[in-house]
Amino acid sequence: MGKRDAIVLSSSDDDDYQPFPRSKRSYEKPKSKSSVTRTNPGRAKKPRIPNSRLAKQSSNVDEMRLAFRDFDEVLNGFKVSAGSRKSNAKELWVDKHKPCSLEELAVNKKKVEEVKSWLEERLRTPKGEIGGSSVLIISGPAGVGKSATVHVIASKLRAQLCEWNTPTPTIWQEHVHNSSAGMNYTSKLDEFENFVERVRKYGLIFSSFDGNSKSSIILVIDDLPVTNGRLAFERLQRCLVLLVRSTRVPTAILITDYGNEDSSDLTARWMEELQLSLESAGASKVAFNPITNNSIKKTLSRICKQELCNVAAEEIDLIAKASGGDIRHAITSLQLFCLKPNTELYLSSSNSTPSYPRENVDELNTSSGGFSSQYGRDETLTLFHALGKFLHNKRETENLVALDQNAFRVGEKFSRLPFKMDSPEKILCQAHGQSRPITDFLHENVLDFLSDEAMDDAWTVASYLGDADLLLATFRRNLTRHSETENVLQSAAASVAVRGVLYGNFHPSPSRWHAIRKPKLWQIEHSLSHNQNEMLRERFTADVGWTRLSEVSVIATEYRPVLKWVGYRRTGDVETQESEDDSLQRMSLDEESEICEEDDDDIEDW
Amino acid sequence: MLWVDKYRPKTLAQVIVHEDIAQNLKKLVNEQDCPHLLFYGPSGSGKKTLIMALLRQIFGPSAEKVKVENRNWKIDAGSRTIDLELTTLTSTNHVELSPGDAGFQDRYIVQEIIKELAKDRPLDTKGKKGFKVLVLNEVDKLSREAQHSLRRTMEKYSAYCRLILCCNSSSKVTEAIRSRCLNIRVNAPSEEQIVKVLEFIGKKEGLQLPSGFAARIAEKSNRNLRRAILSFETCRVQQYPFTSNQAIPPMDWEEYISEIATDIMKEQSPKRLFQVRGKVYELLVNCIPPEIVLKRLLYELLKKLDAELKHEVCHWAAYYEHRMRLGQKAIFHIEAFVAKFMSIYKAFLIATFG
Repeated sequence: MGKRDAIVLSSSDDDDYQPFPRSKRSYEKPKSKSSVTRTNPGRAKKPRIPNSRLAKQSSNVDEMRLAFRDFDEVLNGFKVSAGSRKSNAKELWVDKHKPCSLEELAVNKKKVEEVKSWLEERLRTPKGEIGGSSVLIISGPAGVGKSATVHVIASKLRAQLCEWNTPTPTIWQEHVHNSSAGMNYTSKLDEFENFVERVRKYGLIFSSFDGNSKSSIILVIDDLPVTNGRLAFERLQRCLVLLVRSTRVPTAILITDYGNEDSSDLTARWMEELQLSLESAGASKVAFNPITNNSIKKTLSRICKQELCNVAAEEIDLIAKASGGDIRHAITSLQLFCLKPNTELYLSSSNSTPSYPRENVDELNTSSGGFSSQYGRDETLTLFHALGKFLHNKRETENLVALDQNAFRVGEKFSRLPFKMDSPEKILCQAHGQSRPITDFLHENVLDFLSDEAMDDAWTVASYLGDADLLLATFRRNLTRHSETENVLQSAAASVAVRGVLYGNFHPSPSRWHAIRKPKLWQIEHSLSHNQNEMLRERFTADVGWTRLSEVSVIATEYRPVLKWVGYRRTGDVETQESEDDSLQRMSLDEESEICEEDDDDIEDW
Repeated sequence: MLWVDKYRPKTLAQVIVHEDIAQNLKKLVNEQDCPHLLFYGPSGSGKKTLIMALLRQIFGPSAEKVKVENRNWKIDAGSRTIDLELTTLTSTNHVELSPGDAGFQDRYIVQEIIKELAKDRPLDTKGKKGFKVLVLNEVDKLSREAQHSLRRTMEKYSAYCRLILCCNSSSKVTEAIRSRCLNIRVNAPSEEQIVKVLEFIGKKEGLQLPSGFAARIAEKSNRNLRRAILSFETCRVQQYPFTSNQAIPPMDWEEYISEIATDIMKEQSPKRLFQVRGKVYELLVNCIPPEIVLKRLLYELLKKLDAELKHEVCHWAAYYEHRMRLGQKAIFHIEAFVAKFMSIYKAFLIATFG
């Protein structure tokens, strides 16, 4: 099940290379660890014989891929490579130039120090004596060196790292094969739970096969299992909170932030929730920031020196800027860039840089001059920024583009100055905007940005937003099963909304600070459906006489206002009193109508 | 009990307003053959009343013993099961429900409930009246799919159950369904008829009705009998004995809309538009249907408008009402109408007064 054969590790040998350098730690099995002699870095290791599948399958140990990272070895390997060989094209620089000392880490020194002192403290003091939990959460965007920091610190402290890495997912064919062979499927989350349970109860019992009992152990949970659905997530959360509360092994949990901009993305929100709950359970937290340009540049030039590549300073600068604080990305970009002059190398290495789309590489080859965007990560914008761009509607002050003779001319009234930004669709794309929320946000906020006199503009904008709404509605009504159609409709709607707003806002109000509000419409819709349900429910309980189903609209427009006047309450006895003493009833009605009004106030307040 | 319910005619014989229809229905039922029926007509014209009276005519007093059931329906829709909660009114012989409450899953509910009905078919000793009646409200709000599935089930189970459909506008019911039903148009009562009803109620309640008062209520009610009776009762609570020039309290939401109209007339700017939006939200959140909001708003605006502009404004109101029905979020279109109106009106003001 998702298990691959263990991989031959090369230590210092130049000719050997590691086809899957990144993955080796994941697939090493704890059982086989004893064969690695950490104190003897020079020795090449024997290939590990993969455990026979059938024999192992039943035991969970097999599923649990705990592996040590052997730093000394890797470190040695790097040192050798840096000196003696030119460039092993088959290896990713990211792995080759892993930081091996604290100085080489590009991460902010303070953060490193924080993590280091925390780990030191936990390792020095005997178990259970320090107050607080022995769990540290390290969070940060992708590629800022969270794992690298932990690894480097651990090697510095001479502690062993023990990692949980999520096992490779079982693909369907595999599952079918396995189940026909009579093996049970355990979900990855189950495996993780088992693992955590064991760690909590028994600690990590590795000294038995390590021999070096003095060395201390740090548990690293690098990769949380993917949870699909709320239920699974809650299980994961429970199990981690338990871990935080009770574990004695110093544990680092690495959580990748996906950024908050995608608030519609559930996973991101859950991750936040998870962090909060872990923190409240007593875990400490260190948040890593994106790496600064300067650190990236320093690292890149160091690598260039080691690789004997000549890369101009401004190119490094460009790469660093484009990487957006993601050092892993920056290094890969650099490697790609250095490949450029040497096609042979490029060809041979193309399979080891699978993360690069081919056309990107081609583009790099063909366009020699402009390498501004080839190594950029696609820039992402927050929804907020995108909205800001649309609403503020920045344009050039005059039309500089000379009009073509043949160009289609629009009337004076309809022509607008060119944008001072990318085309709206591109911005939408960058912001991962879904059309419905974008439309709602624009609708909520656009009126603030119109000049007070510009009533016609307001109408234009409102009408375009209406168009967008129509497009979105068509999509929903027809329940198009074709995702293609859906996509086209969606993006057309978003485009209409955005361009409508940009076009319509011909006389923008003088720019000043505006808060961008969340659409009130959402809240309204929410309480509307609530009210409707309430009404539907009440139509039987409220009045004894209503022995029929009235439409909501009739209740709302006719019965309710009258009931308010008349002051009927839902008590049954009003009915019996009705034709009796007038004055008495009047009094009771007055009281009741007062109560009624209070009720109404509640309703108005939403 | 409200007067609307208290003085609702219980039998076809008691019906005051649509006597001719009542007589026809009576004849129809007495001949023991009841086709599917489709009642349509504006709100407050007495469709439901006729239906209830008809049921009583068919099944006798047992039809009035209804119980409210909040049932959960588990519907097997091929790959998944759908859980729906729907309130029904049932007696031994009929079931009444508003399938529109189920939202877009209405088609499942229609099929399922008819199947259910067909399953336990009541049998008379003589074997007559061996059918149940299913009353479906707001058929015009059913989705197209639901109407199609309704058509099929109607044919398949016509031996076991009769359908009585009720809607405001028959134009939104598919041709196929209309042709399978006996269509009964229930007109809005004329003002004289409303006056007659009000006087009848007044007599029963022992009230002194000053001359012209009932006529005024009838006029205000927009030929909606329910509305007339409700406001009659409101007047009674507010002031008794009646005076002939007594104010007839408008509905609170109508007042609110006329307030909005005043706002719009006073100032035309994006800022004002934003305030108007807030007020419209207020209405919508209290379940006032957007179509009614737009209609009423137009009505209020027209009252204050120069005749020159009326045509154009009406045109735009119709335009945006149409779009509102096509669209998803009503506020976008109401707001677009208001914006358009403001822009027209502002241009008009500038042209006239400079």
